[in-house]
Amino acid sequence: MLNIKKTVENGKAAFALEGRLDTVTAPDLEKEIMGSIDGVNELALDFAGLDYISSAGLRVLLATQKIMNGRGGMTVSNVTGSIMDIFEVTGFSEILTIVQAE
Amino acid sequence: MIINLNGRIDSNNAAQVENDITEQLSGRDGAPVEIDASGLEYISSAGLRVLLRVRKTHPDMRITGVNSEVWEILDMTGFTEMMEVEKAYRVVSIEGCEEIGRGANGTIYRIDRDNVVKVYNNADALSDIQHEREVAKLALILGIPTAISYDVVRVGESYGSVFELLNARSFSKILANEPERMDWCVKEYVDLLRKIHATVVPEGKLPDMKETALSWARFVRDYIPAEAGDKLLSLVEAIPHDDHMIHGDYHTKNVELQNDEVLLIDMDTLSVGHPIFELASMFNAFIGFSEYDHDNILRFQGFDFETGSAFWHKSLEAYLGTSCETKIREVEDKARIIGYTRMIRRTVMRGETETEEGREKIKMWTEELLGLLKKTDTLLFSRNELELEAVKENLDEVQLFVGERIEEADCPPKAQMQIAVAVEEIFINIASYAYAPDKGKATVRVEVSENPVTVTITFVDHGVPYDPLAKEDPDVTLPAEQREIGGLGIFMTKKIMDDVTYAYRDGQNILMLKKNL
Repeated sequence: MLNIKKTVENGKAAFALEGRLDTVTAPDLEKEIMGSIDGVNELALDFAGLDYISSAGLRVLLATQKIMNGRGGMTVSNVTGSIMDIFEVTGFSEILTIVQAE
Repeated sequence: MIINLNGRIDSNNAAQVENDITEQLSGRDGAPVEIDASGLEYISSAGLRVLLRVRKTHPDMRITGVNSEVWEILDMTGFTEMMEVEKAYRVVSIEGCEEIGRGANGTIYRIDRDNVVKVYNNADALSDIQHEREVAKLALILGIPTAISYDVVRVGESYGSVFELLNARSFSKILANEPERMDWCVKEYVDLLRKIHATVVPEGKLPDMKETALSWARFVRDYIPAEAGDKLLSLVEAIPHDDHMIHGDYHTKNVELQNDEVLLIDMDTLSVGHPIFELASMFNAFIGFSEYDHDNILRFQGFDFETGSAFWHKSLEAYLGTSCETKIREVEDKARIIGYTRMIRRTVMRGETETEEGREKIKMWTEELLGLLKKTDTLLFSRNELELEAVKENLDEVQLFVGERIEEADCPPKAQMQIAVAVEEIFINIASYAYAPDKGKATVRVEVSENPVTVTITFVDHGVPYDPLAKEDPDVTLPAEQREIGGLGIFMTKKIMDDVTYAYRDGQNILMLKKNL
């Protein structure tokens, strides 16, 4: 199960994720992002409610990051420890701009 | 009315034979006719036509005492299906032969180096033999290694079926003579047990063990206090129908090592049902039947009570995939409930209540049973193996199953997620590639061992041989632009597990994940 809360305003898009980002749910996120990314310069992903990610989720992040690299940029915030571990193992901690809340 | 046929019947003498028969039958229309073919050596199509004409006037005609050459002719031409044809049984003597197995319905003897005969206890055993042959054939077709009898013979006043069993030794013999091979025996014994229990039987092909267990419970209900009796019956009633195979008499005399192959024999109790029924009969074989008199198992299996107890305990541990003693005892207690129920009924049925020993046994088992009934609310237990279709849609079911199994291991959240990620990557890999473009099944097995706490998860599929670990690791130091999408799943799995191994054996891809906690 993955809940996606989306807000798009003035070229800025924010997605708050809740649940699991796996083989079953990753296509939903990809569809949501790709469907609203036109004219977006800044993209923010909030992972506060996300408690699981597999390679299927990483694939969507990578594809989105590649698109946003040519634009204003993309941030991932509020990454939990277990997911951070996955980012580190796969080198995604270097690729992504990770913003941790105070 | 018996008509004897002798020698050869072909076009030279068919007309003469027909005249003889007609003469014998004249004026006896409607009388049952038996053609005794024990003296018949050969019959040609001219002779067969004579038989067909006789059958026209005597539709209930039987042919008996047919030797194997004539049987071949009758079988090839379809006569054995058209009419009742009874074979002449070869006579086999078991004098001086070694007894190698003993089951509920018969005893198995080795008659020469390559062959054994199972002699049935009851004199009128032909239908039992037929049943066992049919279920053994069914088991073989469903992938269970077993021996099928190739001949039915006469042994004294009884019947026997003959099997080829070369250089075979039962596991009982191995345990008795080579105690150092105990762990090897446990592994092979449990592997085969798992295979039996993973086999789905087409509906109606085998009896339902639950029905049998219900009849035991109904019987025993009358011998124990009403409240306990009602609970016993409701516990058995609550076991759901299960269409997986169970052997029904799975002890070490019925598992044979033939060269390098492990074979299952004595198939007459083959049934379908929940594995708790199997565990109950295993408990009885290794412990229950010998609890009153420890020498019993030595007489029956050839090894002592301590060996039997150790083998049972290790097998249960391996079967459940846990070394957690509480969990093992819990399942054992469930098995004991059905085990004691069966033994109490059996002892009463055999009239042993007439003897002091019989009464003492029943008293002992009844006390145990009452104690167990008090503390048990279900006879169900969780298995550590899940078989399901390898499709993406089943990922959640796999995760749920693995999650439940590792609960007892007290897994920290980080390791929990790492295990879940590895499970997803491997399962999705199988779902995507193993059977494409078709579909197929995968088995997931979870084992938790203590000291140190290790979770082992094994994936088995029957798809094309494919070693996902052989793929080169992606370079995870590259910037996003140079990264390929994909290839990360297996890489991550290798990194976050402590051990990942792949093997291709017996047409199966076997991938094993290990995580130390």
